[in-house]
Amino acid sequence: MRRAYFPALLLAAYAGVPLVLGGNSYVMSLIDAALVIGGIALAWALLGNLGGMVSFGHSAFVGVGGYVSALLTAKAGLPVPAGLLLGGVGAVLAAVVMLPVLRLRGPYFALAILAYAHIFRILATEWTTVTGGAAGVSGVPPLPVIAGIDFGGKTGAYFVILTIVCVFAWIYARVSASHYGLALRAMHDSEDATQVLGVNSTLLKAAMLLLSAFMTGVIGAFNAHYIGFLEPDYAFAGLWVTLPIVAAIFGGYRTIAGPLLGAVVVYLLDQLVFKTLISSGHQLILGALLVAMIVFSPRGLLPLLTRGRKPDAGT
Amino acid sequence: MSDLILQALYSGVLAGGAYALIALGLALVFGTMRVINLAHGELVLLAAYIGYTVESRLGWSPVAAIPLAIVIVCAAAACVYGVVSRIRVDREINSLIATFGIGVILTNGILLVWSADVRSTSSAWLQEAVVMGPLYGMRGELVFFGVSLALMGALWWWLAKSWYGRAVRAVASNRDAAQLMGIPPGRTELVSFLVAGVLAACAGVALYSVGVIQPALGGALTVKAFIITVLAGVGSIPGVLLGAVLLGVAEALTVTLASSALQELAGMGLFLLVLFVLPNGLFGAVRRRG
Amino acid sequence: MQRILETTLAGLLCATLSAHAEEFTVGAELPLTGSLARVGAGMQEGIMVAAEVFNRSNGKHRIKIATVDDESAPAKAIAAVEKLASDGAVAITGGYGSNNIAPASDASNKLGLVYITSGGVDENLVTAGRKNFFRINNTAGYEKAALGLFADMKVKSVSIVYSTKDATSSLAQSVQKALTAKGVKVTAHPFDPAITDFKPVVNKIRLQDKPDAVFMVGYENDYVGILRAARVLKPQVKAMVGVWSLATPKMAAEFPDLMPNVYGTALLPFPATFSSADGKAFADTYKALYKKEPDYLGQFGYVQSMLLFEAIARAADKGTIKKGGIAEELRKTDRETLIGRVQFGANGDNVNFSHRMGQHQGKRIVIVWPPQHATGKMAYPGVPW
Repeated sequence: MRRAYFPALLLAAYAGVPLVLGGNSYVMSLIDAALVIGGIALAWALLGNLGGMVSFGHSAFVGVGGYVSALLTAKAGLPVPAGLLLGGVGAVLAAVVMLPVLRLRGPYFALAILAYAHIFRILATEWTTVTGGAAGVSGVPPLPVIAGIDFGGKTGAYFVILTIVCVFAWIYARVSASHYGLALRAMHDSEDATQVLGVNSTLLKAAMLLLSAFMTGVIGAFNAHYIGFLEPDYAFAGLWVTLPIVAAIFGGYRTIAGPLLGAVVVYLLDQLVFKTLISSGHQLILGALLVAMIVFSPRGLLPLLTRGRKPDAGT
Repeated sequence: MSDLILQALYSGVLAGGAYALIALGLALVFGTMRVINLAHGELVLLAAYIGYTVESRLGWSPVAAIPLAIVIVCAAAACVYGVVSRIRVDREINSLIATFGIGVILTNGILLVWSADVRSTSSAWLQEAVVMGPLYGMRGELVFFGVSLALMGALWWWLAKSWYGRAVRAVASNRDAAQLMGIPPGRTELVSFLVAGVLAACAGVALYSVGVIQPALGGALTVKAFIITVLAGVGSIPGVLLGAVLLGVAEALTVTLASSALQELAGMGLFLLVLFVLPNGLFGAVRRRG
Repeated sequence: MQRILETTLAGLLCATLSAHAEEFTVGAELPLTGSLARVGAGMQEGIMVAAEVFNRSNGKHRIKIATVDDESAPAKAIAAVEKLASDGAVAITGGYGSNNIAPASDASNKLGLVYITSGGVDENLVTAGRKNFFRINNTAGYEKAALGLFADMKVKSVSIVYSTKDATSSLAQSVQKALTAKGVKVTAHPFDPAITDFKPVVNKIRLQDKPDAVFMVGYENDYVGILRAARVLKPQVKAMVGVWSLATPKMAAEFPDLMPNVYGTALLPFPATFSSADGKAFADTYKALYKKEPDYLGQFGYVQSMLLFEAIARAADKGTIKKGGIAEELRKTDRETLIGRVQFGANGDNVNFSHRMGQHQGKRIVIVWPPQHATGKMAYPGVPW
């Protein structure tokens, strides 16, 4: 995306959206939920693009981040912002446990991460003394009121998740533009060549897994405080795997803004348009749209929108 | 105690046969096209619901539903192939998403047509116990275990002896070389999808006859099939049976010796264990480069 | 001439009456898709029947139901409540699963809307200080029914097989504690909801536990699996007892070989007999609308919604709808319903809730506990094989 668009976009996001939509709780809650998915989609795409690994188990990080933050704030009384950060740290620790999986390729890696997600879910269900078992953690403290602004409310939460997502996008961009980013993208094309050149590919891939885990953990923690209730089935639900992937692919997972755009478009389109057309079974249209997108514009929505600006480089 | 373990092993083997039937179709397509059909579980589920419709409308045994199920599921599988073959860029991940989208369409379609109630066979014959010494089984389980073995044997024969079967193996091994040798890769891939459809149809009817189905089940079936496929290693049919039986036995033993709350843990743990030791699965050959 | 006069008078009367009558929109937030779709669909039927019966019997006010699917997801449950509120709903009925109900009722609370449900058994729902939250059932009611039945049976040992989901494990664990306190030997077998083959678990019960009764806490698919496995293994127990979704005409019709002598919670016997006009109106309307027998979900959905509509009507008559009148009126509820006498405590919980146990006997379902509602004697010992 052109750099020049950024200030305008940021202004629209921070000021425009709350001004125009702030009064409509319904749409704001949809946008909040969409940005949660968008953030996870961003982290997932980061792992895929920079780490070269497709994961089917990001729900593991969402769940671990959510639980760590919920338990530390509800049971140990830590303030919520600290909980968010520690949720990210918890997810990083979960990723450390997953490190042996790094040497697996393609679908093997993807499934191994999913296996971990299932294992964490069962752990959360069985470790009753710590996690509350199947009953989960109720009464997760909401985001606090700071300087008079209630961050637990729809618009307040919007600012928080928007900031989180923007910061992560910035981190993603910086990593991608750095030496490491160059090395990682080269690795994506040919791991052997980069290893010959002395790049420690395993270390870099591990770093990307940890970074992706951290981001997802923080967002999982945010979601736990936003919803206020956490149980194992929800914390590690399949939707944390499927929706971010759909969003990222839909928006164009090779770009940074793509996953975010995809998440917002897909979520809002599904809930505001399709759901009113077919109240039960509207996910069907979403499925059809997804298939159509893959077949006709595999690089996603973003390239489709910007295609008018520059000559088509061909696929 | 030994009675318990024997029964656990027996139940595990029977369950493994059923899992293998569900996984075979996915494994076949994965081996041939390197495409993971995430809609496979939904195809199996579709066949299961067709079994339900036949039993509840016509009053026949679900087994009689197999021919109809084969026709409908193969048509659906052909549609999946149609979508997947149109994908040219980044085939691996894009076909994942495309088949996922098809899976969503099928799950919601099933929900709209058949509603969310749970269904299973009411045939008393299939639910009767078959006792062999200390080993207890349900007649339906034994029937479909036999069907499963028969189908695997037929599949093995087909891959080894028939023209299309060998074409499928050729394309799986090296698509370009096969094309150069005059094998039409497109048509061969379609055939593999159709055969996967037949397998899914039988697996679905078996599922309805032995277990309980509901629309949300599709995803879980796909994941299980995927795990067994990966466990077995690419391109190995006996591997699928062995992997499935291993999974079934691991689950049954975990339930018997530890707790039934940990059944899924057994599957996931086994999966990770095998992958750490044998990254290409139990029987997987190292993938060709390129 | 007299005819014309009468008709005109009647017409005038109607016109004046309807001038004071209002139509109220009540929001139904339910899972119609996703993992809880089966439950949501059942509840919706009960809610629609309640609206139909209410509109027919209350000549003055009308209720219109607006339904939004919460897709079994908390974020969408919140959005559903918000949408219903912006569409003019005066109260919300529905919800299933504490994970979805907690955030949805919070959203409802912030909007000042009453939220009434029969799908959330978590204790935190009533202990967190939600002022507009009401529920007509809770774990304690199910527990009382199970314990009452076991006391009547005078069992010495029970094996509890339960799904590790929220509602099922909290019920199983509290029943376990209560039975153990009474000196009954209890072995617990929690199982992962994804299990389809119950033979290993039932075999453990058969060879190791050897209990008097098996207590199954799960959902329809779990019951079918457990009963099938039990029919194959034939453990020597005297009773198979379950909870919700088991003692229903649907289960009897679809799985006739698995149900004989099985116990489950049931509000009404089958064929249904009603002691009140309310009950009869419910059953007749249900059959007319949906062409099938009502089940427990429909019954709960009906009761919770009827109570809500009546409270709305009373508040409308007093003109307090906009001033929190619905919650006030709801709190004053004290009447007999299909599920017994309903009174709400200060925390919104139905203090009287106590379920009843039914047993499949032949093609009928007979209520066997508590004695004051029983329609027959329990066939004990008795199992489906």
